[in-house]
Amino acid sequence: MTGDTIPGARPASRDKADARTRKQPRPRREPREEGGRFLFSPWHLVLIPLAVVMLVPMVWMLVTSLETLNETRHFPPVLLPHTLAPGNYAQVLQQAPFARWFLNTLIVTVVTVAGNLLLCAMAGYAFARIKFFGREVVFILVLATLMIPFQVVMIPTFIIVKHLGLINTLGGLIVPNLAQAFGIFLFRQFFRTLPVELEEAARIDGASRIGVLFRIVLPLSGPVLATVAVITFLYTWNDFLWPLITIYSPNNMTLQLGLTTFEGTHQTVTNLLMAANVMSLLPVVLLFFLAQRYFIRGIASTGLKG
Amino acid sequence: MGRTRTRRRIMWRIGVPAAVALALLAAACTSNGTGSTSANGTVNLVMWMGYTPPPPVSQSAEYLSLKHIVADFTKLHPKIHIRMVYVNNDFALQKATVALQGGQQPDISYQYGTNMPQLASTPQLVNLTNLVKQPQYGWNDFFVGERDVATVSGKTLGLPALVDNLAVVYNKTLFAQHHLAPPAANWTWSQLAADAKAITNPSQKIFGLTFPADGSETTVWEYEAMLWEAGGNILTPNNSKAIFNSAAGVRALTTLRQMQQAHSLYLDFHPDAGKSEELFNSGKLGMIITGPWDLSSFPNVHYGVQIMPSFDPGGSHQTISGPDNWVVFNNGQTRVNASLEFLRYLTSPSVLLANSLATGDLPTKASVLKMPGFAQFDKKYPGEGVFAQNLSNVHQARPQIPQYPRVSSSLGQAIVAALLGQSTPQAALNSAAQQSDTYLTTGG
Amino acid sequence: MTRVRRILESDNFSGWALAFPAVFLIFVFGIVPIVWSALLSFQRTNLLSPPQWIGLANYRALPSDPLFRQSVVHSLVYTALFVPLSVAGGLFAAVALNRRIRGIFLYRTAVFVPVVLSTIATAIMFLWLLDPNFGLINFLLSKVGLGPYGFFDSTSGALYSIVGMTIWGWIGFDVIVYLAALQGIPASLIEAAEIDGARAWGKFRHVTVPLLGPATLFLVVWSTINALQLFDEVYFLTKGGPGTATYVVVYYLYNLAFAQGIAGYAAAIAYVLLVAIMALTLIQLWVGRRWVHYAS
Repeated sequence: MTGDTIPGARPASRDKADARTRKQPRPRREPREEGGRFLFSPWHLVLIPLAVVMLVPMVWMLVTSLETLNETRHFPPVLLPHTLAPGNYAQVLQQAPFARWFLNTLIVTVVTVAGNLLLCAMAGYAFARIKFFGREVVFILVLATLMIPFQVVMIPTFIIVKHLGLINTLGGLIVPNLAQAFGIFLFRQFFRTLPVELEEAARIDGASRIGVLFRIVLPLSGPVLATVAVITFLYTWNDFLWPLITIYSPNNMTLQLGLTTFEGTHQTVTNLLMAANVMSLLPVVLLFFLAQRYFIRGIASTGLKG
Repeated sequence: MGRTRTRRRIMWRIGVPAAVALALLAAACTSNGTGSTSANGTVNLVMWMGYTPPPPVSQSAEYLSLKHIVADFTKLHPKIHIRMVYVNNDFALQKATVALQGGQQPDISYQYGTNMPQLASTPQLVNLTNLVKQPQYGWNDFFVGERDVATVSGKTLGLPALVDNLAVVYNKTLFAQHHLAPPAANWTWSQLAADAKAITNPSQKIFGLTFPADGSETTVWEYEAMLWEAGGNILTPNNSKAIFNSAAGVRALTTLRQMQQAHSLYLDFHPDAGKSEELFNSGKLGMIITGPWDLSSFPNVHYGVQIMPSFDPGGSHQTISGPDNWVVFNNGQTRVNASLEFLRYLTSPSVLLANSLATGDLPTKASVLKMPGFAQFDKKYPGEGVFAQNLSNVHQARPQIPQYPRVSSSLGQAIVAALLGQSTPQAALNSAAQQSDTYLTTGG
Repeated sequence: MTRVRRILESDNFSGWALAFPAVFLIFVFGIVPIVWSALLSFQRTNLLSPPQWIGLANYRALPSDPLFRQSVVHSLVYTALFVPLSVAGGLFAAVALNRRIRGIFLYRTAVFVPVVLSTIATAIMFLWLLDPNFGLINFLLSKVGLGPYGFFDSTSGALYSIVGMTIWGWIGFDVIVYLAALQGIPASLIEAAEIDGARAWGKFRHVTVPLLGPATLFLVVWSTINALQLFDEVYFLTKGGPGTATYVVVYYLYNLAFAQGIAGYAAAIAYVLLVAIMALTLIQLWVGRRWVHYAS
């Protein structure tokens, strides 16, 4: 879907001998440094308000995370607290299995993302390029799974997972989500935009289907790999309902689930909840911040067939 | 060709199995959520409860008290081990429903009283009707409102876990500021409305009274207390017809509507978010109708507690209670017996007294109120004494029938519609009553 | 031996071999539950006691259910607003973020943060931000002489407030997808357009937007499917209120199944939703494919 081959440029690649030896055009990188002579680009005027709108609620969150419980029991919220309680963070770490929650979420997310990238790429390629018996019907059935809300299917899913003995385990969180329909859909759409000549050339040279997939197609699939990875990551990271009904032990909880333990029996312990939220956010945000560079460069340099 | 085959082999041999292995490893590392009976006679029970463990310690009094009780029990019965599993009470019914389908139900579960009618339909729920007649349960020592809620269609299906009731918590400082006498035990709704009006200060955004307006059971149960005070009732005694649209019902709803029109009523559309409590604690509300659980949310206010007013002078000050239950699921006779053994211990008067003093929760048995140790209770938790005495104003419970959630939903929407001025109280209640009648006749 | 090799290298075998792991998982965890739910829709059950088979009765009851009709309208209104606004907004934000200026990584991160924030935290924050009496937004608006608005407390404004809140929470996702797509547009094409004398808006409209066709189509389809299944924000924040102003289809069916014990009827609603989403998606894909093809 984020296909980056331009159909209009196809004629240049029709000659398959040339396709492999022709020099690639300079890959698209970051746009040229802007506002060159001026230290201040006018785009800042757009970006600063945007960033403020996105981040202002975070300020509230940060402030609340440093308040004492009494000061959180105010409405409207106290934005300039009289006493700061940075010990909230230590409390969360020491008294709740926060590190464990984080690790659990990390394991589940990483394995789920890896699994999806692998399995959905394989299936997407098959659906895109290989005519096999029942292909169309199976694809439609696969897509249908996207269109029914999870609330409806969670009980039979639970029963199946229980028969697999995976209740209250991280495996129970991973296995049902290891291959997702949208991943297959995205890979299929993307692969179809790639010119088929390269793959045909490789096959004539004796490569197998799977060899073509891994050696020819995937290296060109930066954008879709990144997209599927990000979507899967976000979906798994934010998942609340499924962990809620399958996980029982606090030690096996994911972050989202663990955060609900700060909603006390009668009142929400808002300051600790916000401290926990800040701690859940920071690593992910940091990861995104650092990965941006790889993201962009990676996509740009692998993306192009001109 | 050879190179491709090798690569493919590598991928299949390493990549896929690695992913699967990781998943299975994660699976193997942990256990599932059911109890067990072992060969040497040790019984391992699983108990779902909604008391949050620390942090912070200050909010975990109930959890710590229960843990203490479990530890004491295990000393007395070394062969019974109980594992406490935290399940947020709001999700306990849903989680139990799913777990029952998959055979993963616990032995004991804390459930809202309002969940009982739905739970009643599962065959896995242990029927306690004959058991509670035995003297060691002290069944009649439980308050009548609790016993009613634990019973569905004549069958006793749970043991009371928690009891509360609604009363009026008021801001002493605001009352003093406006030279209002603190509410007396025989006050009326007109007096409350007048107090609310006097306190209301639009420029400072101070309101006299708050009322939950999300249309959920939170809205309905507060209204039902007023309905009973006005002499009305929700359904006919045989639960066949809705009668909350009587003159009494209209009177109760009109009182609220009038306060809203006088701008002294704050409509809280998100009562579960704790906004009203925070507003009260910030001095923005004169009065809040709530239960004992909220008193710890008001550290910054000099509050007083008074029972709810009556409509007519000398009239009824009936209030409503929302008891919750411990239920037992049938996982075999041994585990059921062990579970009941524990629950009997948990609900014995001495344990209840200790728990009340440790947590501020009202005791579920009437005899505890008369125990000498109970005198400490109000001293330690100012205002709770009124709630404890108010238990004698609980005469009845909400109808424990499966259709109640739908009836409540219609009634809730009607109340909100009337408060928002979208409909007159009589019209709104009539339409809700009509809808409820259809639910009651079709069996839900 | 040759026959085995022919089978192993046939399209059928290699196709199925590649597709099998994913399809198997999706079949077990996706199709089977869907079929189970279909069966459920023909029953009257609360999932706790033995069910009764009642044929199409659940489906027949739908058209005369006022709350169902309301939920459908709300879901459609929500989707009709959310999808174009978040996709278009995401595009413009991505264009603004596709710059090489100082601090761009910070800005991009800022836009991403709301997406990873938990729904509970978002709900609590917005409850305060949009509070009619004490909220920050009304406070700021009052400084410019506007408001106060009821937002989540008003029957007319609650649904739009949810639109606003979810756009805030999810626009970062559209931005990421568009950023990736924008990075994939070759410099040569943009430069060619510049040589032809195109100015900024023209470049954008005639070169960039059509090239983003596949990304746009994906985001529209994806956002629509998700918007029609809105649940979390309603559950955590408005509980369908005030009144029934924010009752959406999935919230309604969740309530029916788990709070009111009417699971069969809820399953029927889910099936109607499934058919609707499928139809809408197919239409979007068909229209989209033609537009993308035409635009390229």
